[in-house]
Amino acid sequence: MNSKILNRFTLLMLTGLLFLLASCKKYLDQKPITEVGSEMVFSDVASTQQAIAGVYSRLVGDQGFGIRLSLYYTVDNDETQGPTGGGDNDRRDIARYTATSGNAQLEKPFNQLFQGIEYANICIDNIPKMNLYSKGTEQEKKQLQRMYGEALTLRAQFYLEAIMIWGDLPQHFQPAYAQAASNPFPSRVDRDTLYGQLLADLKTAEDLVPWRNEVGSIGDQTDERITKGVVKGLRARVALFRGGYSLRQDGTIKRGSNYLSYYQIARDECNDIITSGQHGLNPSYKSLWKDQVCGHTVADPDGELMFQASAIGLTGAEDTKLGYYNGPTVNSKGNKSINILPTYFYLFDSTDLRRDVTCAAYSVGANGSQKTGTAITAICDGKYRRDWATNPTIDPTSSVQYLGFKWQILRYADVLLMYAEAENEINGPTASAYNAINMVRRRGFGKSINSPDATVDLSGLSKTTFFSALVRERSLELGGEGVRKFDLLRWNLLGTALAETKVNLANMSTLTAISDPSYMAGFPSYSKSTILPIAMYYYSNTASDNNNIGGLWYNSLYKTAPTSTPSGTKKVVWLSSAIATAGTSSPLGRYATGFTTGKSELMPIPQPARDANFNLSQNPNY
Amino acid sequence: MNKLLLFLSVLFFIPVALIAQTKTITGKVTDDTGAPVAGVNVTVKGAKKGTQTDKDGNYSITVTGNPEIVFTSVSYTSKTLVVGNNVVLNVQLEKAVSTLDDVVVIGYQTVKRKDLLASVSSVGAKDLKDIPINSAAEALNGRLSGVTATTAEGSPDAQINIRVRGGMSITGDNTPLYIVDGIQVENGLSALSPQNIQSIDVLKDAAATAIYGARGGNGVIIITTKSGKPGKLKLSYNGYVGVKFLAKKLKVMSPYDFIYYQSERSRGSSTDSTTFTNDYGTTWDTLSVYQNVDVVDWQKEVFGNTGFMQTHNLSASGGNRKITYDFGYTYNDDKAVVLNSSYKRHLLNLKADYKITNNIKLAVGTRYTHTDVYGAGVSSDQGTSYNRLRNAVKYKPFLSPNQNIEDQDPYADPSAGNGLILVNPILLVNSEYRKKTTNVFNVYANVSWKILKNLTFKTTVGYDFSKRMDRQFSDSLAPYAVTQGGAKPIVRLDSVKAKTFTNSNVLTYSLKGIRKNHDIDILVGEETYDLKTESRSSLYGSFPNFTSYNTAFKNLDMGTAFNGYPRLGKTRYTSLSFFGRINYSYKDKYLLSANVREDGASKFGPGNKWGTFPSVSAAWRISREKFMGHVNFINDLKLRVGYGKIGNNRIQDYLYLTTYSNNGNIYYGLNNNSINGYYPTSLVNSDLKWEATVNRNLGLDITMLNRRIDMSVDYYYNTSSDLLLNVPVASTYGYSSQLQNVGKTSNKGLDLQLNAIILQKKNNFTWSANFNMSFNKNKIEQLGINQQYFYPAASWGVSGQPTDYIEQIGQPVGAMYGLVNDGFYTLNDFDYNTTTGAYTLKAGVVSDAAIITVVQPGSVKFKDLDGDGFVDLNNDRKIIGNPTPKFTGGLNQQFTYKNWDMSLFVNFCYGNDIYNANKIELSNAYTNNANMLDIMSGRWKIVDANGQTTQWVTGTTAYGVSPDKIAALNANATIWQPIKSAGAFYPSSWAIEDGSFIRLNNITVGYSFPVNKLTRLHMSKLRLYVTANNLAVLTSYSGYDPEVSVRNSGLTPGLDYSAYPKSRSFIFGINASF
Repeated sequence: MNSKILNRFTLLMLTGLLFLLASCKKYLDQKPITEVGSEMVFSDVASTQQAIAGVYSRLVGDQGFGIRLSLYYTVDNDETQGPTGGGDNDRRDIARYTATSGNAQLEKPFNQLFQGIEYANICIDNIPKMNLYSKGTEQEKKQLQRMYGEALTLRAQFYLEAIMIWGDLPQHFQPAYAQAASNPFPSRVDRDTLYGQLLADLKTAEDLVPWRNEVGSIGDQTDERITKGVVKGLRARVALFRGGYSLRQDGTIKRGSNYLSYYQIARDECNDIITSGQHGLNPSYKSLWKDQVCGHTVADPDGELMFQASAIGLTGAEDTKLGYYNGPTVNSKGNKSINILPTYFYLFDSTDLRRDVTCAAYSVGANGSQKTGTAITAICDGKYRRDWATNPTIDPTSSVQYLGFKWQILRYADVLLMYAEAENEINGPTASAYNAINMVRRRGFGKSINSPDATVDLSGLSKTTFFSALVRERSLELGGEGVRKFDLLRWNLLGTALAETKVNLANMSTLTAISDPSYMAGFPSYSKSTILPIAMYYYSNTASDNNNIGGLWYNSLYKTAPTSTPSGTKKVVWLSSAIATAGTSSPLGRYATGFTTGKSELMPIPQPARDANFNLSQNPNY
Repeated sequence: MNKLLLFLSVLFFIPVALIAQTKTITGKVTDDTGAPVAGVNVTVKGAKKGTQTDKDGNYSITVTGNPEIVFTSVSYTSKTLVVGNNVVLNVQLEKAVSTLDDVVVIGYQTVKRKDLLASVSSVGAKDLKDIPINSAAEALNGRLSGVTATTAEGSPDAQINIRVRGGMSITGDNTPLYIVDGIQVENGLSALSPQNIQSIDVLKDAAATAIYGARGGNGVIIITTKSGKPGKLKLSYNGYVGVKFLAKKLKVMSPYDFIYYQSERSRGSSTDSTTFTNDYGTTWDTLSVYQNVDVVDWQKEVFGNTGFMQTHNLSASGGNRKITYDFGYTYNDDKAVVLNSSYKRHLLNLKADYKITNNIKLAVGTRYTHTDVYGAGVSSDQGTSYNRLRNAVKYKPFLSPNQNIEDQDPYADPSAGNGLILVNPILLVNSEYRKKTTNVFNVYANVSWKILKNLTFKTTVGYDFSKRMDRQFSDSLAPYAVTQGGAKPIVRLDSVKAKTFTNSNVLTYSLKGIRKNHDIDILVGEETYDLKTESRSSLYGSFPNFTSYNTAFKNLDMGTAFNGYPRLGKTRYTSLSFFGRINYSYKDKYLLSANVREDGASKFGPGNKWGTFPSVSAAWRISREKFMGHVNFINDLKLRVGYGKIGNNRIQDYLYLTTYSNNGNIYYGLNNNSINGYYPTSLVNSDLKWEATVNRNLGLDITMLNRRIDMSVDYYYNTSSDLLLNVPVASTYGYSSQLQNVGKTSNKGLDLQLNAIILQKKNNFTWSANFNMSFNKNKIEQLGINQQYFYPAASWGVSGQPTDYIEQIGQPVGAMYGLVNDGFYTLNDFDYNTTTGAYTLKAGVVSDAAIITVVQPGSVKFKDLDGDGFVDLNNDRKIIGNPTPKFTGGLNQQFTYKNWDMSLFVNFCYGNDIYNANKIELSNAYTNNANMLDIMSGRWKIVDANGQTTQWVTGTTAYGVSPDKIAALNANATIWQPIKSAGAFYPSSWAIEDGSFIRLNNITVGYSFPVNKLTRLHMSKLRLYVTANNLAVLTSYSGYDPEVSVRNSGLTPGLDYSAYPKSRSFIFGINASF
């Protein structure tokens, strides 16, 4: 190598070095590649849509409505109760109101709800700042407005759920990046303040989100996304909770100020939905659950399933365990961890078609169809049933735990009942209040929804007795849908309901007639009988999911049972001491055993959340 | 032909005729690298006269006749040669065992060990040759002071965690930096074969590592591969074959014990006992047949195969004065003891040096490694449901009627809670296919140009490419397919690609002997580093049953992609650095060195991109002082002191930016189609900066007794700050934590390295020993604001499992945490109601019902630490184990006798605890029809010899027969009734065991054929040897092996859970050179 080459080489190296130094600032400025900054996410409609999907996703999965919010946190109430077995520092303790702040199932759902709030906050902060939001095409603007409204609505949904469970909470109406540095340890804020913000947000969202039948006009497809009816329905629900009772931080149970003005909001919002004609009831209560919900059906011609949390992916991330954790087992697969209380079973009129949808008194054999009757102590809730699953059906041998059943957050029937409740509270039992509740009842009994029918319609009630009837009707219509415990809480009736249910369970165990509850309309007269069967005989070869005689059962649910087992049938124990034996295997033995008024109305704030934030105080008496 | 023979005979016989002439012999003495050796004594054997080689290694000596000439030197092994008919006698001397003149690489430079100012541990080819194993990382285990190399488990590709003086980081990566032939590579040891390594130098303190700045915080491992030497083509073959056996088995209960317990387990539940009688017989007497059934030892069936391993290494090296080269090929094949588990690796390497002119040298090198690892292994990072050890231990220890050994047991519980189903372990192994392929390719070149006599410029470029493919197939039976894929086959394909480009430019200026006494060395340099990664992950399920793995891999469309898959992740990391070093020495007596490095990295935000890492060190060679002149037994004595700051940049990219991911972790269904959601990956902290460590080191090097003993002692105290911790933030912000620079830890310790030549050439016998020992004390000094401790996620177990480790101020990282065991409840703890038969706890006796649900005689008992009368998780757990050893070390002894050589290597570890989580799972009765460890044969029994139930539970009350009968049955009970409730897997002090051990790691005996016998075979070397690896372990640990830590996370060290069991191997090998 001669010196010429050497010189060139040196020159090259020096040039390279200089170039490098000049560009070094840029060289060290690397931007994310597969992950992106907010300017990329909120740049167009499609990627903003993905950000919104991120917000929605916080509704479901194991830590959301997939199982914890829907099934762990909603029992025990006067309809259903949690699983048998000893205390577990887990779901059983939650069901029995014995959970402590260290309970293993508190932290993650708490976190996921606030994750939802944060994800929504990010969208709420960014979408209105987007260039397209103000300068896009009409369609782009409308689509982005809808998404802005959806984010506001979803935030309200997450907050409502969290307040119902935990009471006062820190206030997060801005993204963490804008708030966390200046206020790293936020204190709890009175729920009425939070509710006030949610109601204002939902009011804003109403004008941004189109009605269900209008989404096509802005270029969106019809799907499970939030529409105006949902915004209004949720606003009504928030208003009822704002106007209802709750356990306050000072240990008293009281209702917020000016409660009637909030009932007025609920009434008006529900009225808007009803008069809009956008939503209706599926004429068949069974078909609604069996064919639509369990049938994984997308189409909803009546628009009854207003707000559904989706379930997809077959894993704990974004699917649900509905129909696996609860509901009847198939080929012994499933947990049947939610049980129908015998008292609730007998609350239904014998001709009320909703009983055999809500209550599944059987398990299914290995062939996927043959039924085995259960004892009265082991009736499952039945709205999410593995054996009803179609599209796809689930093989009886499959051990799959995620069945893709969508959790129903808001149904039109609930809107009608909220309307009836609010209208009655403000104006007494008016014709429109009767009409709303009776539409629900008529459908429940298989009658024509819009034709008055004296056999099932309520009439001639006082404001008080109308309310009693409504308390019962909501249970009959919405049983097992996760709303009962919170309804009873906002009416300040949970303690009463649990106590009276205990008495009636004890009565049933000794074959003493059950007595009408004080807090709601009573049982059918034949349920309050001493001749309720002590045994039921199911056909040993039946595929029926129906509790009627000739369906699943050989004998009547309301009459003395035969003493010997009729041929072709098998016996299960019905009314007996098994309802009340000591220990956690009987309904009474484990029923709300730890419920303490002035404490159990709220769940404890999870300890890890308090460890991370010393300003986060605990709920009363924990 | 005949003429040729004649000519050859003449050539051979002429020398005889030349005997008794006087002549002058000249020659040159070189070392094994070809460099001249000055000062070698050259003497004629038997004569008194002699001479020395000059500075170029040349000598000249007059001899008479055909004497033997002896070459001796302190640093080299002496050599004796017969003059014969030569007049020129060139000699190559081999280095003596003393390491003082070894060259040590300390970062962009090499120094002689005697001039080291830093703390460096080294291992050379000579030590590595005795370790016929495939993993270079494993070869370091116990050989270097201050360095621990912990193998996670026994699988052929097990992760080996190398830590230099303990880890400084808490949640960060504590992996050291690897520099191979001057180029930074990721995980440098796995892509190298031990046979190609010339030396490994581990830089332990800031005096050496600060030149690597932000990358040097965890120590630096510098690997130099073998180079060619000038001379004829030299072909070498190193190969070995060996067999492996399972080193230890866990004892399980016999079939009769199993049945006896299953009968106990079924009592108290009508369904269970009906199932039991259906399965095993209605009367007690029928059970006695199980005393004579054939035992199936599932561990033997699945882990007990005879492994077979072979390694073949070929190398060709040589060259001339201009070019030298070394080419190598290595093939490893390791069929492990576990069924279907094997390992294959091909390595190619080429290294060449080209002296372009006298002043310009070019070096190029390239390596290619292809590794295939087969088998799903034993542990699983996907969770407890998918671990395989459970099946090999808990599966029913005999076959049911008509059950073939590869059939599912008809009685096994197919729907055990928490996915803890039991699958026939043979069937399971065959239903899970896994193949991990790694390809690593790297190439580098450097040019060094001696611009002036004292000034050298060196530029290095390197490119490294690695690609890892992981193919997994879970057939319908595998728990993963059962719980996640609806019992249909699942395919998982993952790939990770990384491309690195590095360039460094270094200028060195050295002035020796300024005014005779001053030496100065100056180095300045610049370096860039650019790393791009790309990962891809696909998960497909719902393949038709009976699809073979090959079909499934080829036809992914037969399955359906899981939601959120495939996933793609790409990153790019760039850094730019400037560095400098100045070395100064006065009279070779006072040495001073200062380093500084300025690092800029793309990982940090504006204002935090640059970090400065300075260090300074000094040494005093006391032996050069006049007052040491009369101390003859000391050859060299040097005191070193160093102080410096270094960093750790092993954190994820882009953390300072708010970023959103749509990688498929989060998705939502609309109209039954899922769409991926964008979500913020973390709560951003725009102020993130480097983790920093301050290193303090005080060392003493001493060489004595005519260089026969060589010792280094180092004391260090390292403190780190700004450690990145995921500090809990108010969870209502929507994030559980935020990464903040808040943590502080310290490591304090002592490293001791001792090399001794105990006997040298006495009666042809040489005995040398290397001993090292390290003491380290690791402590967490600070966590987040208001944070005294935090719990990492439970390291194993099922849903709701309490955490089992704690990170607490004042404690080492990863202290084990749990309940304290207190034996079991005895009859004395209970009041007996003779009417109802109820056993109730006496007043004042602590109840642990909150843990195990129902307390009865024979129940496991935990201590009530807070004294409130009952045991609960919130108040009655404490630190129950310390994962850090008090000391670790190794002793390697090498013996040679004539042509025989032998080495014996022992390593040891003292004072650490192991969390034997296996014991918890394998001793509980959570799952129906599951066997347990043999220790449970001594359990408290609840069924007497006649099959009568003596204790039962109704609701939450325990009932039983009279106390005297229960006492008689359980007079010899050694352990509690198996737990089968929710608390079955709760960590307790019972599972914490002393992990101290002494391991007879390696014994090798070799025989080298005398060189004169080999010449006819055209060989220069032929050595045969036999080796036993992992021959014995002296330990009180009850699990498979105390050297275990199955989780990659530094937060949960010393966990033994479902680890791949270790094996013992016996090897026969050959080293041959032509």
